[in-house]
Amino acid sequence: MIITANALEHFYGSEQVLRGVDITINPGEFVAIVGESGSGKTTLLSILSTLLRPSKGEVRYDGLALDGWGNIDRFRRHNVGFVFQFHYLIAYLTLRENIALASLPDHAHQIDPLMERLGIERLGGRYSDEVSGGERQRAAIARALINHPRVVFADEPTGNLDTKNALGVYELFARFSLDGTAFVVASHDKKIADFADTIIEMEDGVVKKITQR
Amino acid sequence: MITPLKALRKNRFKTGLIFMSMSVSIAAIFLISAIATGVVSMYSAMLKTDGDIIVTQRGIADTFFSDINRSLTQTIGTMEGVKEVSALILGAAPVDPLPIVGIYGVSESRFHSYTLIEGHYPEAGEVMLGSKIYDTLKHPRTIALSKKEFHVSGVFKSPIGFEDGGVVMGIDDAGRLFHKSASIFLISLNDLGKSDTVVGEINALDGSCEAKTTDSFIDSYNQFKIIQTSSDVIAALAFMMGILGIVSMMSMVVNDRKAEFGIMRSIGLSTGTIIVRLLSETLIISIAAFLVAWGVSEGVLELIKHADKFQGYINGEITAAMMLKVFIVSVIMALAGTLLPAVYASRIDPMSLISKGCQ
Repeated sequence: MIITANALEHFYGSEQVLRGVDITINPGEFVAIVGESGSGKTTLLSILSTLLRPSKGEVRYDGLALDGWGNIDRFRRHNVGFVFQFHYLIAYLTLRENIALASLPDHAHQIDPLMERLGIERLGGRYSDEVSGGERQRAAIARALINHPRVVFADEPTGNLDTKNALGVYELFARFSLDGTAFVVASHDKKIADFADTIIEMEDGVVKKITQR
Repeated sequence: MITPLKALRKNRFKTGLIFMSMSVSIAAIFLISAIATGVVSMYSAMLKTDGDIIVTQRGIADTFFSDINRSLTQTIGTMEGVKEVSALILGAAPVDPLPIVGIYGVSESRFHSYTLIEGHYPEAGEVMLGSKIYDTLKHPRTIALSKKEFHVSGVFKSPIGFEDGGVVMGIDDAGRLFHKSASIFLISLNDLGKSDTVVGEINALDGSCEAKTTDSFIDSYNQFKIIQTSSDVIAALAFMMGILGIVSMMSMVVNDRKAEFGIMRSIGLSTGTIIVRLLSETLIISIAAFLVAWGVSEGVLELIKHADKFQGYINGEITAAMMLKVFIVSVIMALAGTLLPAVYASRIDPMSLISKGCQ
């Protein structure tokens, strides 16, 4: 699935946070959006991921504007995964149940293999407060990946992790992108540059530089 | 089913508050409805004992104020289809130390409707006591009514609280006590099919009297309507208080669990799914609260029934129909109270999960 953003502009009240952003994300591409706080990277991520409607411009998935995809909840469930800075696992569900909550019925059988790939297969029956921060984030990644989304959006996914765990998360993104899932990650962390295929540098709501590796 | 239970367990403090709020509301509905139904059914049962037709003074608001000429019973007794006519005086008076006691002056033919457990039926200057008041007064040999002493001739047992907590005496003595001939006539028929004819004949006999079939009397009796309406109004208030309690508590719950609903939205769960999840949580609470409220209400009614203070006059009754009605009301209360917060939860913007200020 190719995602294209054309002439995106966005305002919070009178404050303009995106100014004419044009980008394309290809299948299996690992894209890092980097920039200082206030540069517009989170807003761009939110718009690309369908969570936020741009004030101007449009986002197309496979050439089709979002309105053309019908029910947005359904579209999200089938095509998009999210990983947030805070894992946002539901505390009263086990890690496995958290993943199952997001799973479409025909993907339920993939929960265990996926947990195994992420190295958390033995933690399925535990609750989020019974595992480490890195393990929680892996469970959150599993939840994002369970339906084989075409693209996973991650907002500062390593913001609460130590360096070792942060690198582990980037490695996972890079590995899973080889299966065809695109990853779009907004991050302050410069180490992400070692793993991403494309680095989009944002400054004052403008794409300052795009680097392909 | 398991997931809502887990959610309730995780949020057990607020779940407990919602549960208590619902239990109190449902118990209030149960109690007020049961007491009203009990009062109405006790009085109805009393009137229905050997009474297919009831005759009162025309246009009176309450049978206690009714005064009709007892001599009419002789004429009515000769009417075709009439099996038996009894005259009753319904009154109330203080019996030390009780502030008010139901006094029933009955014609001799009606004594047989009271099951004697001790002594004999009263003669002139005597009374018999219901077992409840007999115990409450600690087995007295005499009682004073309007400064006049009456010998206690016997004790009877009645399932009707008003009677079991009351005093029965001959109608002549009661007439002297309350200065009236009779309050009501109770007429039993040989053939119920003739009730309309007999009612018509009695109404034609004396314009100051009004005859009705007992069922029709009960349906139209103003006191019952007042009791029922009052109970419905109080039950409706309890229902509204219950809904408001649930709305406010569920709003807090939704606010506490904002991230949970945001994540559900972000992973594509539909608004309907989120609403159903929250509704099922309160549905579970409402079922538990209903069962507890039912048990508590039965216990409270039992306590009231045996409390000396109430003399057995408040005898609540929870019928199967009432159970069903209150259960439905409980479910509606839970669903109505949860709907708004659930809709709000289903519309939580997943954007709220993305840290603010990181544009």
